[in-house]
Amino acid sequence: MEYTREIYWNVGHGIGTLLPMYLLLLVALGLLVFGYWQRVKVYRLGKVLKRTDALPGRIVAALTQALSQAKVMRVAGAGTAHGLFFWGFFLLFIGTCLIVLQADFTDPLFGIQFLRGRFYLLFSLVLDLAGAVAIVMLLGLLVRRYLLRPDGLETRREDALIHALLLVILITGFVIEGARMAVTELGTDLAPWSPVGLLFAKALSGLGEAGLRALHSSLWWLHLLLALAFIALLPWTKLRHIFNVSANYLLADRGPKGNLTTLDLEAEGVESFGAAKLADLTWKDVFDSDACTLCMRCQDRCPAYATQKPLSPMKVINQLQEIAFGTPDAVLAETIGKDALWSCTTCRACQEICPAAIEHVPKFVDMRRNLVLMEGEFPGEEVMTAVNDTEVNGNPLGMAFAARGDWAEGLGVKTLAEDPEVDLLYFVGCYASFDQRNIKIAKSFIRLCQAAGLKVGILGKQEKCCGEPVRKLGNEYLYQTLAQENIELIQSYAVKRIVTSCPHCFHTLSKDYVDLGLSLPVEHYTVFLDRLLAAGDLQLGSETFSCTYHDSCYLGRYNDIYDAPRRLLAAAGGNIAEMDKSRSDSFCCGAGGGRILAEEKLGTRISESRAGMAAATGAPLLVSNCPFCLTMFEDGVKGAGFEDSLQPKDIAEILAERLPTRVGTGPDATVGQPNCKEVSA
Amino acid sequence: MKILVCVKQVPDMESRFKLNAAGSWYSEQDLAWRMNEYDEFAVEQALQLREQLGDGEVVVLSIGPDRVKEAMKKALAMGADRGVHIQDDASFDKDPLQIASMIAAYAADQGFDLIFTGMQSQDRGSAQVGVLLAGLLGLPAVTTIVAFAYADGAVTVRRELEGGQKAVVKLTTPALLTCQLGLNTPRYPTLPNIMKAKKKEILALTVADLLKAAAVTKTVATVFPEKKGGGLVLEGDVGDLADKLLAILKEKTTVFK
Amino acid sequence: MKALLVAESRQGKLLGGSYETLAFARQQGAEAAMFLVGSNADLPQFDGRLYLADVAEAGEYNPEEHLRLLLDVVGRETPQMIVFCHSSYGWDLAPRLALALKAGQISEVVGSKDGGLLVPACNSKLRRVVAAVGATTVVTLQSGAFNPAGPPSGTPTVEKLAVQKASKVEFIGYEEAEKGGVDLGKAKVIVSAGRGIGKPENLALVEALAKALGGEYGASRPVVDAGWAEHNRQVGSTGQTVTPKLYIACGISGAVQHLAGMKKSEFIVAINTDRDAPISEVADVLLVADLKQFLPALTARLAG
Repeated sequence: MEYTREIYWNVGHGIGTLLPMYLLLLVALGLLVFGYWQRVKVYRLGKVLKRTDALPGRIVAALTQALSQAKVMRVAGAGTAHGLFFWGFFLLFIGTCLIVLQADFTDPLFGIQFLRGRFYLLFSLVLDLAGAVAIVMLLGLLVRRYLLRPDGLETRREDALIHALLLVILITGFVIEGARMAVTELGTDLAPWSPVGLLFAKALSGLGEAGLRALHSSLWWLHLLLALAFIALLPWTKLRHIFNVSANYLLADRGPKGNLTTLDLEAEGVESFGAAKLADLTWKDVFDSDACTLCMRCQDRCPAYATQKPLSPMKVINQLQEIAFGTPDAVLAETIGKDALWSCTTCRACQEICPAAIEHVPKFVDMRRNLVLMEGEFPGEEVMTAVNDTEVNGNPLGMAFAARGDWAEGLGVKTLAEDPEVDLLYFVGCYASFDQRNIKIAKSFIRLCQAAGLKVGILGKQEKCCGEPVRKLGNEYLYQTLAQENIELIQSYAVKRIVTSCPHCFHTLSKDYVDLGLSLPVEHYTVFLDRLLAAGDLQLGSETFSCTYHDSCYLGRYNDIYDAPRRLLAAAGGNIAEMDKSRSDSFCCGAGGGRILAEEKLGTRISESRAGMAAATGAPLLVSNCPFCLTMFEDGVKGAGFEDSLQPKDIAEILAERLPTRVGTGPDATVGQPNCKEVSA
Repeated sequence: MKILVCVKQVPDMESRFKLNAAGSWYSEQDLAWRMNEYDEFAVEQALQLREQLGDGEVVVLSIGPDRVKEAMKKALAMGADRGVHIQDDASFDKDPLQIASMIAAYAADQGFDLIFTGMQSQDRGSAQVGVLLAGLLGLPAVTTIVAFAYADGAVTVRRELEGGQKAVVKLTTPALLTCQLGLNTPRYPTLPNIMKAKKKEILALTVADLLKAAAVTKTVATVFPEKKGGGLVLEGDVGDLADKLLAILKEKTTVFK
Repeated sequence: MKALLVAESRQGKLLGGSYETLAFARQQGAEAAMFLVGSNADLPQFDGRLYLADVAEAGEYNPEEHLRLLLDVVGRETPQMIVFCHSSYGWDLAPRLALALKAGQISEVVGSKDGGLLVPACNSKLRRVVAAVGATTVVTLQSGAFNPAGPPSGTPTVEKLAVQKASKVEFIGYEEAEKGGVDLGKAKVIVSAGRGIGKPENLALVEALAKALGGEYGASRPVVDAGWAEHNRQVGSTGQTVTPKLYIACGISGAVQHLAGMKKSEFIVAINTDRDAPISEVADVLLVADLKQFLPALTARLAG
């Protein structure tokens, strides 16, 4: 037999079918467009922002992300189910479009039929399987939402409506197919190519042809109406995420990861800075609020939420949506709550995991900017003091700026003012310059560089805070002041490359400072040393030790540096017992977002929470790559009661301990065993 | 209501001080400068008063070289309306009476209702200028206020005394008050105010025009404090230090008897 | 040289600083007369002339009246030096007197050095040697800088002063400090926390050590101002002055006001990462260490 089928069988291909069908389609599309237009008007309450540059690249990215469901499927369980459901439904949609294409256009106009032969066999099989998978996944999600009821998953009335609508569409699809097959295909060798339809056909075969035809045509119209209802309902329900999320993939920020807008503080006629109300946010921010599907993944990963702070990134996005579509004049900080706003550590876990590509962090920073720049508010007096100290002495620790280079005394390191001919500028940062515990990182790094035969220069008392903590708190003015001073200074020395030991300095100098004119290679020391090691310029002794490794937010999620530090640890003999939450799933130490300057007064301590995760691996060493993390873990390990079994250390310290030592000087010097300290397992 | 706030720019107290070449004061090399901490409270109180009244003018005054304008700009950025800079590159060499007399020479005909100053400066700390200025202007003065209230020309303040005790005192304007730490919480300048401050007027006056008083004290020298003899300085591993300290305490005190 | 010493009383009680002025006068080899607005019931014990205005008539401190009385006495005694304590009374009244006399004032004297008197500067990191120009000098003394050699003794010859009630500054009343449970004045051992503890949580380390030593914990002004400790824990000129057997200052730099409150302690230990901190001047032992590491180490040994 011919492998094909009569499209519009039983329903009729005449005006009686086509006219109502296309009219209803027009209505549905009209409602879709109208509904979206209403929402677009609300998006436009936000400020202008260009996200349509490099369009071809954007389109490719959007299609890839949407069709691959990669972001959705990062989390197994519901993610896998949604991914499979999506493909099933999407294939069915394509299939339906192909049918309409042939039946209403290519065939009547050009006599072209492609739904036949081997292609049609494949077509039938694929669609049947797609539908089956879609139903199974949908049922699974239904069970999850209504029976398993995961903690905190918000269920609204529209969820029931959407589940019902989709299920009925899918099931009626099979019943219609079954009815048709029961009349036209049973017993043919075409039938097995629609295995699910065949099951339905066999089940329905008891009804006589008249009954089957009646069932078929009534359900066909029902299926049509429901499908059109689906289209019409899109903008009015959570289903809008189909467009919004796809559009979000298209309109994503293609700048460097962790980008914040560099405000033009001198702009003429600008009266207000930061976001006080919805209209101060960009249209993309408002659009983001409409893309949320309440999946909770951001909330599940937020370190503030996990430690009972009043912050849920999901809730903030939802509140923005409520404000946008309800009370657009609301004062954002009051609705969302200042405690919630100040609790964010900008760890980016929310943004990294969000399957809808919502950009949470810049919104928090924008709201903070308004509080700081327009109201002079801070999360606490201790923060205002630290900010004032940064203005006066170039560091938030209140230490005399003139002492900034003192840690380097006796190490054979000169400032660029004394000797500008260096292989690299080591931008030390505030904590490694002044904090007793973190000075060890700086000294270790110097020893490592010197062992590799490199000449290191520092800025010494001329160096100022890179400005990152105050920037994340919202003080864009102080940040730009510090940045400009640092950049001018660095440029005056004809520096070739910069290496930092702090991921916050690294991120700020390599990305944020670019907007203000710095364009030099900047590396974090782990990447730098990894290269030296690979090139054989750095020799390390290897002595086996156990540890767990904490991926800091600013090296990890912000800059995707996960492997270089691990290679270094392996070269040093480290056996890493990874925590469950590692790499891009790493759990913040609590110091980001400028919170290193603030007291943690709400909930429980983030650092203690992370210390607990480290202790759970059984490793005796908690290795980190960031002075903020090290500072937090020194406190967190003690606070959580692990000080006898867990020791925080920085990678640099471990590597420096494994440098071969020189016994004697001159040509008779011998290289001794690596100077390792024994670490109890 | 016309309010004057006198501020002094001082070095940040965390700085490591060196002596200047003449041995007469600290060297200005490698110092970070800031507004005298006590004066921040004075500026803040003046601004709060203006806010309470809904109108009024806050004038900030400082004496010194050009760099003191930075401290004045901070006051302007907090919200003061205009500044008066008495240009004097050797202001550190003037004694408190000379400083007070210069301010009095400016302020005498300005009709200020209230003058706020810090109770002392963090560098010289003589705690005299405020009271001397009041005396020269014939104004009643109260020092060391930790609370301030104003209603219809009547000022009620709390003075901080020793041992946590406070004295409640009342006076009427025009008057002068010197401010103690903790009087209020000095505000952080907002960006619009920082920008506006750049355009606010700073009147420049010269020492020559205003200095009529002769010094009544003179600085013979500035020196480093003598280290107390017998003070032991210990460093090293914390465990060892703890053991050593316990041994010393057992030997030198009766704490463990 | 003749000195007029301005003694202080509050609510009828003579304040101890009054004897410090005597000690200073003796050190300077000056013949001393005293001025006091105070109560007959609590007069300073010394041999010399005491010009007394009855506080029952004059009321609590009123700058114009005290100035007027003082000027009268200065006119009668013609001293070369008028000595105050650098207290909330002294720094309020002394400049008024200095201006009236067109005399120089030297504030917060801690000693003498060739050519002048020694005063602290820059948070006690420096010292200035200051001399007066002119015949009369007004001097205020840092609290605790000059200590009487022995217990007060003697009987003053009292000259009564007539009081007028002029006042542009009206005294309304006193507010007492909030009384907490602790009286640091009675503690034999005090372990104090300064800004160097970094965060409020670290106060627990200080408390633990204090407990292990059987003493009380105290705090410097910045710690109290930040709300990390109650005011009744504050040691210093505006808090409590203490004289325990052992005073351990943790992360305290040694600002003048704090030193004034504890430098008479019998044995002083300072823990600070800065070996040049002003507290080293009064410390018998300075441990250059991180208090976060050291305090637990010491506490642990005491527990064992």
